[in-house]
Amino acid sequence: MTIPQSQKIGRPLMKLIRLRGWPILQQLHIEEQLLRTSSENWCIINDGTREPTIVMGVSGKPAELLEIKPVLHDQVPVIKRFTGGGTVIVDGGTIFVTFICNKDAVPDVQPYPRPIMSWSSLIYNEVFQETGNFHLRENDYVFGNRKFGGNAQSITRGRWIHHTSFLWDYEIRNMAYLKLPSRAPEYRSARGHLEFVCRMKDYISRSDFIGRTIRVLGTHFSVEPEELEAIQTVSSTNFSPSSRLLTTQEIESALCEAESRKSLACSASS
Amino acid sequence: MIGRRAWRELRRSYGRRWPIPAACQVPCPSPGFAAPELGRPPARSGCAKSSRAPLATAAFLSSDLRFRFEDLCRMKACGFSSDALRDAPVAGMVDVPLAQTGEGIAECELLKWFVQEGDLIEEFQPLCEVQSDKATIEITSRYKGKVAHINCIPGDIVKVGETLLKMAVEDPHLLMEDCGGLENVNSPTSEMIKSKKCGVLSTPAVRGLAKEYGIDITDVHGTGRDGRVLKEDVLRYAADKRIMEGSSTSPGTDHEEQLPEGAQTHHNVSAKSGWHYNDETIPLRGFQRAMVKSMSLAAKVPHFHYVEEINCDALVELKASFQDNNTDPDVKHTFLPLLIKSLSMALSKYPIMNSCFNEESLEVILKGSHNIGIAMATPNGLVVPNIKNVQSLSILEITKELSRLQQFALNNKLNPEDVSGGTITLSNIGAIGGKFGSPLLNLPEVAIIAVGRIQNAPQFADDGDVYPVSIMTVNVGADHRVLDGATVARFCNEWKQYVEKPELLMLQMR
Repeated sequence: MTIPQSQKIGRPLMKLIRLRGWPILQQLHIEEQLLRTSSENWCIINDGTREPTIVMGVSGKPAELLEIKPVLHDQVPVIKRFTGGGTVIVDGGTIFVTFICNKDAVPDVQPYPRPIMSWSSLIYNEVFQETGNFHLRENDYVFGNRKFGGNAQSITRGRWIHHTSFLWDYEIRNMAYLKLPSRAPEYRSARGHLEFVCRMKDYISRSDFIGRTIRVLGTHFSVEPEELEAIQTVSSTNFSPSSRLLTTQEIESALCEAESRKSLACSASS
Repeated sequence: MIGRRAWRELRRSYGRRWPIPAACQVPCPSPGFAAPELGRPPARSGCAKSSRAPLATAAFLSSDLRFRFEDLCRMKACGFSSDALRDAPVAGMVDVPLAQTGEGIAECELLKWFVQEGDLIEEFQPLCEVQSDKATIEITSRYKGKVAHINCIPGDIVKVGETLLKMAVEDPHLLMEDCGGLENVNSPTSEMIKSKKCGVLSTPAVRGLAKEYGIDITDVHGTGRDGRVLKEDVLRYAADKRIMEGSSTSPGTDHEEQLPEGAQTHHNVSAKSGWHYNDETIPLRGFQRAMVKSMSLAAKVPHFHYVEEINCDALVELKASFQDNNTDPDVKHTFLPLLIKSLSMALSKYPIMNSCFNEESLEVILKGSHNIGIAMATPNGLVVPNIKNVQSLSILEITKELSRLQQFALNNKLNPEDVSGGTITLSNIGAIGGKFGSPLLNLPEVAIIAVGRIQNAPQFADDGDVYPVSIMTVNVGADHRVLDGATVARFCNEWKQYVEKPELLMLQMR
């Protein structure tokens, strides 16, 4: 659908990068680079990632969030990302959508976590208009009371990033790598993973979701496709991304920590 | 992990972390908190003598006229330091608190520092990164200065309003602007944004102020971030405009407009008779300048005043007992420490009287420490140092600390810490005279108490006989956005009870 030139006037420019099966760590590196070194608005859509990967928030502690033994045994990569928020396990069934904006590009949105979250929900409200029962519930996107999209943000001076991992599909066995988090939204009501989340594919197809998202974005921004290579060639040599893969050693020491805590708890209660 | 937690607790127990600062705010465009700084005299109250009195220290707002009044607390020394000190710049430390990062967010985890102690910082330079729930947020500096002391370590949970670090800044205007709020998340409010659409960045409150002064806000040069027009910019413009239009000879003589007519007539008569009285221009510096700004801000806050009389017979007797049994020649017992301690006891029951108000987020921050400020007149103007943590001090300790502050104030040796972080103020206007006045708040506090002189007054006994009692009149000035009459009345009753029956203080002794 083309938008007449006249309608593009007054809308801020947003560059769109479309990826498919891109490794999540590289995606996070690109996002952080664009957030910190670019002055433009960006939307990044990554349709699935290559291998199942656990992605924790910036201050996530493996001992608290992961079932470390199976993670170690199955050699599941664990990443600590540069944004806040919780832990997810992502794979080919995950669709990532990221917005990176100058605060002045969306002047009605105060650059605080809540207003940005609300703004994003307005976008997705339009995307899921014909699909049942979409809400922003606390910090999650839900159909009814089941989560299908988790969010995280980073706010810097003058810019912010809001990225979402959408559960278009997931493998039940992958959920077993994650513990029930101690910090959980109220609406979770202590439900286990499988009772708490749902699959987006039960509501909308992949292509429809991505297509609609880009169309809705086009009504708020003047969207222009950009090739990833164009960014990579201009990469900032001064920039060093903070999202990283945890080493086996780190995960093993987290296991020791978890076990020593358990034994302390046992001796305290005996 | 356990070791790290223990280390944090150890640090806390050594008092490395400051108590929650008086970071609150005062009407200001930016969300956030400020810490009051050196040279932040509350503008207090006014009392009533007009005129030619040397530069004032306390200003009371009476019904129609604003006067300046010299407020001396009881001090031994009579000499005052020279005028050379008058021009000393008001510079010092600012407490940089964790500003409000969004609705409902009460605390954040400190993730990392981008600076260290001793670093020189530019305005808007990133200081640290914090995390609240789903977001990491970069905190930037509102000031240009130097990092003096870092209060938190990565991993600490920092409450909104708690001091992250202390910075040494130079520009006193920046310090006063601090009273208006610290913006360390660079985000204008949505109201600010609306104003921007009209071409000038400012809040509705600032626009209202400009309108009140009859100023076109687009004529005002904004000194805030992104050129936004702050309250101080409007006030400065108004003062300059007034000067240019010849309505006053200098900022320092604005008060002459408020003088009773008699004084003006006197001038005219003298001129006619051939006597020549020359005008004197006194530029305001230091504490006086700070008072102009702080009083102007205070006047914007809706005050109400609650007046009460307190029977001080027991107080007089107790003070005499302290004096009679005093073996330390360096200690002189006065009424103030008793009033201060009993005030703190009453604050424990009514903590909202010891709070500050965040206008942007409509939140009241109940301060944990009772840092009771005492208004003092110095040769350089009104200053309000405060006694920290009165709730944890004995009356003797309060007496000694009060004496220290008085001496330092007289000699212009007060530290920045002495004059910042106050949570409530006591003005002993009675030391000079007057029955009572109507004190103006020492923002961002929500209450101020002016105590008049203890005077003998007649009282009727049940049998109709008249007997003398020592009566002290107090006037509690309160921020009506936060406090209501009932709260202040109950608080005052509580305090009055402790003053009239000081033996009740023993019930709280540990």
